[in-house]
Amino acid sequence: MAEIRPFAIMNIMHMLDIFAYPFMQRAVIAGVILAALLSVLGVYVLLKRMSFFSDGIAHASLAGIAIGIIFSWPPLIVALCLSAVFAWVIYWIERKFELASDTAIGILFTTGMAVGVLLISMRPGYQPELISFLFGNILAIQKDELWVIALVSMGIISFVALQFRPLTLLALDEELAHAAHVKTTLLQPLFYMILSLAVVLGIKILGVILVSALLILPSASARIVALSLKRFVWLSVCFAEGIVLAGILSSVVFNLPTGPMIVLSGTCCFVIALVLRTFRSSDYSL
Amino acid sequence: MDIMISIRNLSVIRDGLEVLQNIHADIRAGEIVAVIGPNGAGKSTLLKCLLGFLIYTGTITIFGKRPTHALDQIGYVPQRFTFDKNFPLTVAEFLRLSCDSQPAIKHALKEVEMDAYHDALLGRLSGGQLQRVLIARAIANSPKLLLLDEPTTGIDLGGEKDFYEIIAHQNQQHDVTIVMVSHEVNMVYTHATHVLCLNKSVCGMGRPNETLTRDVLELLYGRDTAIRDHEHHAHA
Repeated sequence: MAEIRPFAIMNIMHMLDIFAYPFMQRAVIAGVILAALLSVLGVYVLLKRMSFFSDGIAHASLAGIAIGIIFSWPPLIVALCLSAVFAWVIYWIERKFELASDTAIGILFTTGMAVGVLLISMRPGYQPELISFLFGNILAIQKDELWVIALVSMGIISFVALQFRPLTLLALDEELAHAAHVKTTLLQPLFYMILSLAVVLGIKILGVILVSALLILPSASARIVALSLKRFVWLSVCFAEGIVLAGILSSVVFNLPTGPMIVLSGTCCFVIALVLRTFRSSDYSL
Repeated sequence: MDIMISIRNLSVIRDGLEVLQNIHADIRAGEIVAVIGPNGAGKSTLLKCLLGFLIYTGTITIFGKRPTHALDQIGYVPQRFTFDKNFPLTVAEFLRLSCDSQPAIKHALKEVEMDAYHDALLGRLSGGQLQRVLIARAIANSPKLLLLDEPTTGIDLGGEKDFYEIIAHQNQQHDVTIVMVSHEVNMVYTHATHVLCLNKSVCGMGRPNETLTRDVLELLYGRDTAIRDHEHHAHA
């Protein structure tokens, strides 16, 4: 037993050499940036109960990926542009026709998917971008994509940091936000747009099927244990970073797909938060 | 006294229905005005117009400005404040979302006797405590006008009494003009200096004893209710 342990450690250390490769470094950098971005926005997604919005935008962005593939344009850029348009259309349908959010999202979600599937079907053969879109592939991130992820994420995080109080008030109650001078008719569609952009960026690492996990799991775990908004936001970011790094590391160690390992790390984090909350229940009463 | 709020030809149409029709009203500085009327009379709509939250025709001026330009002098307490009770937001953090000054937040919480709850979670407060915090939020920026939409809904009798004491204190000690929507006619006699009777259009406005006549109550609530309320008040 004593002889096996050093061998196992040496084996793991040998596996970790993979982090010397540029593709792995790009994966870690992209993961760290997107974890921060999605976990901060996840706070608002939870507060406004908008998880269906992120799911809807993720699925609808298939149309953007397909247009990019068909016309040989960068699929990520096309999907980003189209998702911003979808976000604005959802807001407009909600306001103009006073339709419930989930109805507007449902319409865009299915339309985007239908357009995407139709366009993809026009191009025969194996489509690696499509598989990457569905399941994500953090290890396949290219240098130019990393730049797009970094620049868009920094822009969104800066915007959220500057507008933190108005955004939180708006998420709590639109009337209160208006009474506090928040330009609600401008900030609301802007929030929809930045959330859409973040979701599409997240698709690069987790794919359309799993991207919501990185929005929901860190913030849901943080909400369970946090006793103030400030801690909620910071814990959400810390949990997300831990979840992404643990997911990447475990996928390397066990030679398993990265996306699902990130999601399962998030699930473990959520369970640990639940257990912590159970043992510290006295802190949560007045 | 100076006219603080001037409303002229105010009409609001929502979903093809006229919710408010040709409203004319003046509210002077220092008044406590109760806006009363039956369900669907347009009371909350009027308040939202005063905030510039709804599209309307006609003219509203507050301190001589359009409502949206006068928001820095208005405090607002909504009819319903529904939020996720498990959201980890403390009372102080909630107030900080709309007020920059920490001393002003502490003072506002003290005014409503909620200073002990500075770090309490908002979702753990009772209905009455939450209402006090909403008032603290509304007065934290030292407004000259408070708009309250059915502020005692869901509060017990003790909480209601405390609430009206806080409102009277704001009015008398800090010269805050109050406009509050209420479905409770009897509170008008004890807690308001003026009453605005609304049933899509203005049925009457002035001092409660002069305004709440049998005819006005009948216009508001129908014949039977009008007689009962009027007699009840006469005996009281």
